[in-house]
Amino acid sequence: MTVSSSFRRTVLAGLVLAAGTAAPVFAPALAQADKPVTIRFAASVGDKPFACGRSFDGVGATRSRVTPSDFRFYVSDVALVDATGKAVPLKLDQDERWQHRTVALLDFEDRSGPCLTGTQETRDVVTGTVPAGDYRGLRFTLGVPFELNHADATIAPSPLNLTTLFWNWQAGYKFLRIDLATSGRPQDIKPGDMPKFGDRAASNRLGFAIHLGSTVCAADSPTKAPANCANPNRPVIEFAAFDPARDVVVADLGAVLEGVDVDTNQAESPAGCMSTPNDGDCNPLMRNFGLTFAGQGGQQKFFRVQR
Amino acid sequence: MPRVRFRAFALALLWTCSAAAQGTGGYRWPLPGWLPPPLVPDDNPQTDARVDLGRHLFYDKRLSLDGTMACATCHEQARAFTDGRARPTGITGQQHPRNAQSLANVGYWPVLTWANPLLRHLERQALLPLFGESPVEMGMAGHEQALFARLAADPAYPERFRRAFPERDGAIDLATITRALAAFQRTLISADSPYDRYRYGGREDALSPAAKRGEALFFSERLECFHCHGGVHLTDSLVHARKPFAEYAFHNTGLYDRDGKGAYPADNTGLLEHSGRADDMGRFRTPSLRNVELTAPYMHDGSIATLEEVIAHYEAGGRARGPNTSPFLPGFRLSAEEKQDLVAFLKSLTDRDFVGDPRFADPWKTAP
Repeated sequence: MTVSSSFRRTVLAGLVLAAGTAAPVFAPALAQADKPVTIRFAASVGDKPFACGRSFDGVGATRSRVTPSDFRFYVSDVALVDATGKAVPLKLDQDERWQHRTVALLDFEDRSGPCLTGTQETRDVVTGTVPAGDYRGLRFTLGVPFELNHADATIAPSPLNLTTLFWNWQAGYKFLRIDLATSGRPQDIKPGDMPKFGDRAASNRLGFAIHLGSTVCAADSPTKAPANCANPNRPVIEFAAFDPARDVVVADLGAVLEGVDVDTNQAESPAGCMSTPNDGDCNPLMRNFGLTFAGQGGQQKFFRVQR
Repeated sequence: MPRVRFRAFALALLWTCSAAAQGTGGYRWPLPGWLPPPLVPDDNPQTDARVDLGRHLFYDKRLSLDGTMACATCHEQARAFTDGRARPTGITGQQHPRNAQSLANVGYWPVLTWANPLLRHLERQALLPLFGESPVEMGMAGHEQALFARLAADPAYPERFRRAFPERDGAIDLATITRALAAFQRTLISADSPYDRYRYGGREDALSPAAKRGEALFFSERLECFHCHGGVHLTDSLVHARKPFAEYAFHNTGLYDRDGKGAYPADNTGLLEHSGRADDMGRFRTPSLRNVELTAPYMHDGSIATLEEVIAHYEAGGRARGPNTSPFLPGFRLSAEEKQDLVAFLKSLTDRDFVGDPRFADPWKTAP
């Protein structure tokens, strides 16, 4: 990081100038060296903004009517790309709520209506600082970085301590969580409901869940702690043209579900797509996130830039 | 006289050494001398106060969203901490794909659950039944603050948390709840069956002649049972305080062959799910056979109802052999009497004191 050294240079320059001219140039010089940046995000289904309780028609391969009940995801390693193509990392504000080290949570659900899994608080920005520069583009990763993903969740700080984003079975987190009721898979069992004990059909009434996370994490050796996941499932998203002052990153559920059948569920598989390599319900959904699935590479369709 | 004193001193010394070996913080494990204590993680030192708190939590239905399930719902002491069902259902009625495992000696397993090598610590494993969503078990995902508030509001808890976690000022949170649950589970040690009294206690009469004949069959190259169900807890997965090298293994026991290539049901592929290797299809961790009489039904999905049927399964070398089926399933023929002997041996692994031990019982039924 060059922040502290450039800060020191700035301070020195400020002092020299101040001694010579007695003008108050210190503050502008600092701002130039360490510039606050806000990256704005939005959640939509096609061209309609997402909101808890709203239903959307014509989604996926079967033109299904879907009602999302959660819409959250982690991004990490957010960087601005300068004119030479160099990615300069945003130093994220450490607010002890939405951002921790290099990871930030974006949260579009407000726990109203069918959204029972999340929190009332919402978040549609990533905030941080970058050194002054001539920036043209944006790069970020969808997901939690490896070291944080596999750390001890029982003592993790916010925003890595939300139990609905835990994925302990994979020794990690759900990088993205979007849950849906669809025409073919109504979601009449919701977390928070109290259905009758012993209802065996309940697992067929969980709707269509989209949970993105790393899988096959004992790939190196079943006798060691996770050191490598065969499927990290952390797509890197890059936009060559992005101006934080004017542009918004739109996460489009309609686009990522293009060609996906959300009305049926493969037998003996989790409800919807939980990143399971042998789950046909993840096809072509995982590819639409820009990932390789079933040996076939994909092009990300989830994010787009809106001016 | 001097000789007697020397012997007394030697005994005292032995006891001291043994106490020192039995863990830090002066915790005394409920163990026979021949069994080393379980391994305890550095960040969760074993204390009586933690065990006591963990026991209260283990039996507390308020750990589930609708107050219908405690850990003990699927892990009943009378059944050696299993539940008698093939596959349990959680609070929403969703069925778990796998059978609830016995918690007897769970502190000795280097990896927990049936086939997930990522789950090595009871502290983190506790998050799964509490907060897991695929399947939903206790259904607390997103309700952790409500859980902390429930516990804080019960006079039985705040002082117990303070005693168990003085360094955290008795904080009621994910770290303390999961650590207390782990501390209690590590005390669930079963090592006083008739077979133990015979094998380690030197009591010839503790085992019936039939059970002794069954033991010989069990440990024979003819049946090959012991290759996987060997060692002090009759499993090839073991770690403890005097065993620096954790051993564990996963085996395919020929239960399914969906496609002629050894495929298991898609929601129960075993180790393959986490390793990604095709030859790990259907491989599951060897369960201990301690108290096996009480832990029916059997196998990772509870698909075999009785010990006699399990023996028939192995007699056939697996009901659906596939390319990954363990070579230690050669198949064999047993006479009717030999089968009875083998069952007699398996039943000699039942530890009646363990399933009746008041230290492991529901503390809420007595004074809190």
